[in-house]
Amino acid sequence: MPWDYRSSKDFKDYYEERRLQRRITLVFVLLAGLFLSYLFNLWYLQVVNGENYRRMADNNRLRQVVLNPLRGTILDRYGQPIVRNRISFNVLLDREKVTDREGIVRTLSRVLNLPEETIRERIARYRNRPAFEPVIVKEDVDLSEAAYLESRRLELPEISVAIEPKRSYEEGELAAHALGYVGEISEAQLSKPRYAGYQMGDLVGKAGLESYYDRDLTGEKGWKQVIVNSLGRELRELPVGRHPVSGNGLRLTLDLDLQRELEAGFADKAGSAVFLDPDTGEILALVSRPAFDPNVFARRFSASEWVSLINSEAHPLQNRAIQSKFAPGSVFKIVLAIAALESGKAGPGRTDFCPGFATIYGRRFLCHEEGGHGTVAMVEAIQKSCNVYFYHLGRDLGISLISLWAHNLGFGSRTEVDLMHEEAGTVPDEEWKRRTRNEPWYPGETISVSIGHGALEVTPIQMANFAAAVGNGGTFYRPFLLKNREVRDGVEEVERAPEVLRKIRLKPSTLEVIKEAMWEVVNRGGTGTRAMIPGKDVCGKTGTAQVVKASAGVKSNKLPEAIRDNAWFVGFAPRDHPRIAFAIFVEHGGYGGETAAPIAQKVMLKFFEKEDRKEEPTQVARTTQHP
Amino acid sequence: MLERRSIHNIDWLLAFSVLALASIGVGMVYSATAGGPLSGLAARQAAYLLVGFAVMVLVMAVDYHTLAELSYVFYAATLLVLVYLLFFGRAIASTRGWLELGPVNFQPAETAKVTTLLALSFFMSRRRTAGLGLSNMASILGVVGPPVLLIARQPDLGTALTFLPLVAAAAFLGGIRVRTILILVMIPILALPLLWHHYLQERQKVLVLTFLDPASDPKGVGYQVIQSKIAVGSGGLTGKGFLEGTQGQLKFLPAQHTDFIFALLAEERGFLGSLIVLSLYFIVIYRCIAIARAARDRLGVFLAMGMVALFACQVLINVGVVLGLMPTTGVPLPLMSYGGSSLISTMAGMGLVLNVWRRRLVN
Repeated sequence: MPWDYRSSKDFKDYYEERRLQRRITLVFVLLAGLFLSYLFNLWYLQVVNGENYRRMADNNRLRQVVLNPLRGTILDRYGQPIVRNRISFNVLLDREKVTDREGIVRTLSRVLNLPEETIRERIARYRNRPAFEPVIVKEDVDLSEAAYLESRRLELPEISVAIEPKRSYEEGELAAHALGYVGEISEAQLSKPRYAGYQMGDLVGKAGLESYYDRDLTGEKGWKQVIVNSLGRELRELPVGRHPVSGNGLRLTLDLDLQRELEAGFADKAGSAVFLDPDTGEILALVSRPAFDPNVFARRFSASEWVSLINSEAHPLQNRAIQSKFAPGSVFKIVLAIAALESGKAGPGRTDFCPGFATIYGRRFLCHEEGGHGTVAMVEAIQKSCNVYFYHLGRDLGISLISLWAHNLGFGSRTEVDLMHEEAGTVPDEEWKRRTRNEPWYPGETISVSIGHGALEVTPIQMANFAAAVGNGGTFYRPFLLKNREVRDGVEEVERAPEVLRKIRLKPSTLEVIKEAMWEVVNRGGTGTRAMIPGKDVCGKTGTAQVVKASAGVKSNKLPEAIRDNAWFVGFAPRDHPRIAFAIFVEHGGYGGETAAPIAQKVMLKFFEKEDRKEEPTQVARTTQHP
Repeated sequence: MLERRSIHNIDWLLAFSVLALASIGVGMVYSATAGGPLSGLAARQAAYLLVGFAVMVLVMAVDYHTLAELSYVFYAATLLVLVYLLFFGRAIASTRGWLELGPVNFQPAETAKVTTLLALSFFMSRRRTAGLGLSNMASILGVVGPPVLLIARQPDLGTALTFLPLVAAAAFLGGIRVRTILILVMIPILALPLLWHHYLQERQKVLVLTFLDPASDPKGVGYQVIQSKIAVGSGGLTGKGFLEGTQGQLKFLPAQHTDFIFALLAEERGFLGSLIVLSLYFIVIYRCIAIARAARDRLGVFLAMGMVALFACQVLINVGVVLGLMPTTGVPLPLMSYGGSSLISTMAGMGLVLNVWRRRLVN
């Protein structure tokens, strides 16, 4: 039944037709309305908000790339490099150029001398990174390997060698604590005003000079603007930006030769030492043992290496020269002698009889010499380090006078050396006892303080500065490590002038007595004979700082090392117009004369050997420092 | 076939607008792929345009009544191909909707739109009763349902949903009562929670959620919408210039030669370019509606209006996605997005409408 729709009568159905037309109109109106609303939307997006979206599009495509400046180098006082920026070569693999993945792994394994598994792992690490980002397949290859790879670029187009500057501590552990180390800036540092302008991921000094002079060493960042695509690939550079400015080089007061001698002298012993120029406060050598290798921090550090450094019981990261606080022991007897002579409470002729002990305030205090020293005068008391003499002297002086002179001589306050986190130590007196422990001062404590024990705490650098001041006649310089900066391209800043912190007027007669006593300690059969250098008139004083109370009556060298007393040796040379002053602290070293004095001798031998050899130029250098 | 007289019977405005849009499309495909691994696509699209033009002329030439009488044959063939695809279809982008024909891949779902339109129009024109009863509604669903279900099984829900305007148009113009419309509108609203919890896949839920708040997932699904809006907005009034759109040329814009080609146009040609293109689309729709009004019989009306429904909805959905007004669906922009199947099928559909105009007067 072919139904001819052409003659359909549908259209004659007026009602149906009306409704159809109405609905078509409705559809038209609806669509027209929608199109209009779309146009409004477009207008709103493109014309009203166009600027905002244009900025967002620019943010998408323009990337500011920070250009890191080279960090300043660090040299010793004679210009020998200690810290440089080493050029390191990384071998990169361009994954986009790789066609035969297994083949390239085999080739790399052969060329780079690495197991295939290692290479596969390194490539796999970049799985989620954009393909144009090269894989670092081997870090820090040596020059010959880099050159070999470069020469084979045609055969191995997917491999390239990239240069990356790395901080290089040329001498490894040498002077590690003075130099410090660098690392990525921490969030705690970022929040400090000192680090304003630094960004996450920046390399920053973490300790030592690297930290103290970070602003100088860092330099100024540059930047460039590049166009990137959605994958982050840099397409081209825009002609705007700024070159980075390298950091200033630093020339230190350290003498690498002395530093080496000092480190060698310590061998595997723990402790610290500071050698100073007593005429300027320049630090010639500074050591803290055990040390660490700052290069370890410059590499990509593994968490386990961190944990081992932080948790090590030897605390290798601590700079003992400025941070460890110990009793000065017998070295403090010099402070008492100065206090007595300057205050006039006793003269050099004061004598005392030492039977090996003294009974004061109903308590028995021992001398280290069991049979006693017999009758001793002040010089001999220092030379023999007689406790009894100083027990009585201390009792007669009283704690206030002792404390006053200890402060005068630099104890209880920071030396203000150019290193971070220096400790001030403690000089106890009645007021201090009340303030910190809310207890009265017991007279017996004065007796302990008199031989450098009790609550007394000093740092090695304070001791060295003290020795320097005694040697130079009472001038306290601010010890420092930075001689001058290289401002730019080899142009050096004027050398830093010595900074006098404090000058105390010591009577020539006082100095004469003290120097004579300290000279005899070394040169006349005293406790420090092992530091003697013929013709150089070395002056010194030994000291022991007790580790545990129980060991008080036992000979230190008969104790196991862990509880053996700590040894001090402090001094200067030569006796008249000293050129070098020092303090050496050997942890668990027993008697200072046995362990610390030989180290001092070793370093001074080197110092005088150099001085004698280069008498002329050194003289000239010294004249320029003090016009 | 084309008598001299029929030159005057061609709706030149419609034909011109269709060709203009398709040509602009070739240009934008060129811009979207220039310098990249896909840079050959513009030439292919131009070739598809020529084929599409030939198909359009061919479809216009044969009397649409003749085509309508054959519509069930086309329709049956379509269903067969769609069934075949479920088993042997070539998977591109995880849907098995592609038929490999020698060097080209063909998407039968696109042709299915035209054959379904033809079959549905034929069915609607034969209907004798006034109004639209339940049985008629069932018949409409009976015609449109099978291809929709087969395509949804590929699974290509986005394309399947573009058939629904056909149902709406047929029902609405077929005389469905306002009361029934209201009921039909209520059902999905009530069914939505059920659908949400039991039917929608996680991926589809994410799509809807990110549409509601693109910033919640700026690097995932929301990324496309954000980048698309940035592209459109940054075009400003006059655009950044041909091949100068940074969002497009630096590939921040996703699927820029297919689903997001309008964003590229808006970026490079600005508001003025978008205005021109949207106007051209509106002219096409306007002319189709005018042809429906002038059609000499109900078959012509349904063909033209069905085409309006298919075409307008796809344009509105696609541009709506680009402007961030709708969730991302994967519907191409008719005539402009890269893709031969869509372009040729759309032009074939337009050929049908031109055909209706050409034969609007009873001889």
